[in-house]
Amino acid sequence: MSEAALQSSEPGRGKSFAASFLAAVRARMWGIGSVVGGLALWEFVSRFIVGSKLFLAAPSQVAVALVNLAGTGELGKHIYISGLEFLIGYVVACVLGILLGLSMAQSPAAKQALQPWVSGLYATPTVALAPLFILWFGIGILSKVVVVAVLVIFPVVINTEAGLRTTSVQLVETVRSFGANARQIFFKVSLPSALPFIFAGLKLGIGRGLIGVVVAELFGSRAGLGQLISQSAETFNMPALFAGVAILAAAGIAMTSGFGWLERRLLPWRE
Amino acid sequence: MSDSPVKLSVEGLTKKFGDLEVLRSISTSINRGEFVSIVGPSGCGKTTFLRIVGGLEKANSGEVKLDGRVLTGPGSDRGFVFQQDNLLPWRTVLANTEIGPEIGGYKNSDQRKTTMRLLKLVGLEGFENYYPRQLSGGMRQRVNLARALAVDPDLLLMDEPFSALDAQTREIMQTELMRIWEEGRKTVLFVTHQIDEAVYLSDRVFVFARRPGRINEIVEIDLPRPRPLDMKRTPEFMRYVDHIWKLIEEDVRASVLEEHA
Repeated sequence: MSEAALQSSEPGRGKSFAASFLAAVRARMWGIGSVVGGLALWEFVSRFIVGSKLFLAAPSQVAVALVNLAGTGELGKHIYISGLEFLIGYVVACVLGILLGLSMAQSPAAKQALQPWVSGLYATPTVALAPLFILWFGIGILSKVVVVAVLVIFPVVINTEAGLRTTSVQLVETVRSFGANARQIFFKVSLPSALPFIFAGLKLGIGRGLIGVVVAELFGSRAGLGQLISQSAETFNMPALFAGVAILAAAGIAMTSGFGWLERRLLPWRE
Repeated sequence: MSDSPVKLSVEGLTKKFGDLEVLRSISTSINRGEFVSIVGPSGCGKTTFLRIVGGLEKANSGEVKLDGRVLTGPGSDRGFVFQQDNLLPWRTVLANTEIGPEIGGYKNSDQRKTTMRLLKLVGLEGFENYYPRQLSGGMRQRVNLARALAVDPDLLLMDEPFSALDAQTREIMQTELMRIWEEGRKTVLFVTHQIDEAVYLSDRVFVFARRPGRINEIVEIDLPRPRPLDMKRTPEFMRYVDHIWKLIEEDVRASVLEEHA
């Protein structure tokens, strides 16, 4: 067939692990170089130019602090508490956010009623309300869960609604031509076409949720990575402070790339 | 099923968009197994007519009957082939083709066999698991056609299905459509603005006029089948094309002037 211009990509097979590892490194050479170079520069500046742990901890000192904190079990406790706060707040916000987005897309009345609140609160730095939530919900994990949920829910609502709203009229008409009812149109067209948008909202929520955990803990908590950071700052323990930040950064990177992987698995039809 | 040769009958069909009379009192009929094309200048209501027959739009008055039954909305007794392929990007070729049976609730292993046969018929054997973005425009239109055929419709409605394709692919698709049509001899209503396409494919060509949209003339195409592509260069063929062009020329000029005004 002359028009069979296909663009299917076949991953290279039959290569040894070492060879494909080297090839992968070479393909990402500039990225790897940039990270390694940046860390080396940081190490150099903090050891030889700043020269004081009180102002800037070197990556090697951060690594030592990480190992020490992990050894005493302190780090594990902080990670557990922060992780729990994040997880509960995030999941609650995603479920509620998707439901709200669905109802806004389905009902013009719901959309009219909710839109001003959603737009207004999304633009507001609601994280500034964290002290208030701590006053209301106490110093334990509940107040942090609420802060995380409040930060995460808006991008999820907005993206879910936008994804459903931008469903192609032509595609809807196509299934309608086969006699599809409203339910079938929703499940066979609207929802699948909104999924990439919903995913993007969930991904945006990760970063916002992590900020929520840390900021809420800074304002008052008994444990958690934010508490570790604020306590370390008060005692000028810069290596421990950086250790907390490093854990948060790693968590953010891991979750975002995990989502990327999930997205490729669940939405293989996308580029 | 009745013994009457009439498959589709249309009586007094009128459609208005606000004050604009798009179709005025159209009455006609199409026989079982007939291939009918509609040509006309833009704005003559040919696509609207097709959409009303497909149940995607409501007429202001008049009736459309399929096998004597009055049609009130869309249904799997008709297969609609859209101008844009409108494939669901998250479904493979196979899953796109089976959407009609799936909606009708009769997707089963027999249906799978039918689907595979159809994909073979449209020349997509081996592409079942490809996603639409991996296919060329011509292949996507083949899926579009297979999807409409998968509900085994009594009537196939085609809305300028080849207009988005390049000239060569379009000619190939015309011969392919003829080959597929010869297999089952479905009743087809085919809208196009390309006169030679209408003549090449059809038993009869309905020539529409505009303002208001109505049937100006029905041209019987008395050319033998199967029709090879080079038939398009024969004097008989050219005579049909010329005749139809003369029927719509003034309308087309008027609509072109209007668009540039």
